[in-house]
Amino acid sequence: MAKIIVVTSGKGGVGKTTSTAAIGAGLAMRGKKTVVIDFDVGLRNLDMIMGCERRVVFDFINVIQGDAKLKQALITDRRLENLAVLPTSQTRDKDALTQEGVGKVLDELRKDFDYIICDSPAGIERGAHLAMYYADEAVVVTNPEVSSVRDSDRVLGLLASKTRRAEKGDGGVPAHLLLSRYDPARVARGEMMKMEDILEILSIPLLGIIPESPAVLKASNLGTPVTFDTKSNAGRAYEDAVSRLIGEQVEMKMQALEKPGLFSRLLRRTA
Amino acid sequence: MQVRSLNPEVDGSPVSVADRPLQVRGRSFTAVVLKLNGAADAGFYGALESLMRQAPHFFVNAPLVIDLAEAPGLTEKADFVKLVRDMRARRLSVIGVQNGTADQDIAAFGAGLVCLQGGRDAQVPRGGQPSKAEDAAEETRGPKARAPEPAQPEPEAASATIVVTEPVRSGQRIFADRGDLIVMAPVSSGAELIAHGNIHVYGPLRGRALAGVNGDKTARIFVQSLEAELVAIAGLYQTSDDLDPSVRRGRVQAFLRDDTLCFEPLK
Repeated sequence: MAKIIVVTSGKGGVGKTTSTAAIGAGLAMRGKKTVVIDFDVGLRNLDMIMGCERRVVFDFINVIQGDAKLKQALITDRRLENLAVLPTSQTRDKDALTQEGVGKVLDELRKDFDYIICDSPAGIERGAHLAMYYADEAVVVTNPEVSSVRDSDRVLGLLASKTRRAEKGDGGVPAHLLLSRYDPARVARGEMMKMEDILEILSIPLLGIIPESPAVLKASNLGTPVTFDTKSNAGRAYEDAVSRLIGEQVEMKMQALEKPGLFSRLLRRTA
Repeated sequence: MQVRSLNPEVDGSPVSVADRPLQVRGRSFTAVVLKLNGAADAGFYGALESLMRQAPHFFVNAPLVIDLAEAPGLTEKADFVKLVRDMRARRLSVIGVQNGTADQDIAAFGAGLVCLQGGRDAQVPRGGQPSKAEDAAEETRGPKARAPEPAQPEPEAASATIVVTEPVRSGQRIFADRGDLIVMAPVSSGAELIAHGNIHVYGPLRGRALAGVNGDKTARIFVQSLEAELVAIAGLYQTSDDLDPSVRRGRVQAFLRDDTLCFEPLK
């Protein structure tokens, strides 16, 4: 049975699209048939992060409106045959999304895929609402700062009340916390919120901690999900998060967050 | 007692009654209370205008309630008609009066105003006699925790406790419209608990809690960890800025004693 996972946050710029790409790629690397969908109509980004922006012909909105078949809009990743991207439209806006249309597309995708990852736009309006509406699970991406935590909290409230699962009385969409851009040095200096404090406020299980890393920006600009960069600590952190997402028990590794050792620092200097 | 989950009426909107020509709903609004000290004379309007200059947008579209406790001189319907007209000329909309005598209420009603019950600021201990301007600023400072003018609940349902077991998230609002509200989970900053009766929170209270919103001065608020943005009982409120640091983050009960909001640690 296919699982629909929404990646959401409320606040913008916390790493939803990066996380969608990384989680989607991570699932596909494990042999799961995965599709990532861009719900940010009008601000299309996921295709760029996935490195397939030059292959977009038809999009999600075309499919919803019946102008194209789903198969025509789906782009299969060149690196992983298990991975597909459903890009969105850059010229339309969120009103082009309809609850019925989204539901139809998701139902069709359920037949062919194990995981359907919905990349939510920022905010709590139509695009974000429809991205979470049909979800079975949610990944809430949060940065260690107060405004991001409050917005995540708001989104958790919506997941518990304004989704199909909530309407059916299934107790809302279960959510996992993905803490991104975490910088232990700045946390130690008191400039960032501590993981424990964030967990206490949001009180949902922790899926992973993604350290602040230059590898993330680099991967985005190259159009490769950061999970492919298995040498980077961010890539490894996403891999661990994916393992937990599919139900494996993985220890919350703090070594991924540690400062580089003397040896690697020397290497970096000479590099 | 009824156990209710947060959904689907998490935002406080009652379950709609389908296919009826009308629906009765309770809703709370924020009104600005203007306390009149003496007559509505040139001095009053002068002070008001200087206040409006300081905060030109504060009064825009705000429903205004006139507090008559210190204005015994206003007794005739004509006084109120004039007051409303003069305020309207300053683009202020008076909707009602409070704390008036019976005669004042009748006169105000005759002038088309509503007579509201109670709902005052928590008394902030303060040295000396407050100046008129200070008092006006005090009265208009913040949104009032006001009891909604209620659609009277059906008489057979005297009281009903609502128990919430899930975290109350930022932006959510839970309204126990007929009794107590018990929350067995954290209440986030930006969330709102409202009850006609008492409020119990078995977890940190970081949002707002308004008990006794119908004017019940015996209502109390019990919390496991008081980190609230605002606490109000029967319309008397304190914000987190005013909270005594000694009760902060503690197990605390809040109650009214002589119309003053008191906080006491739970033993």
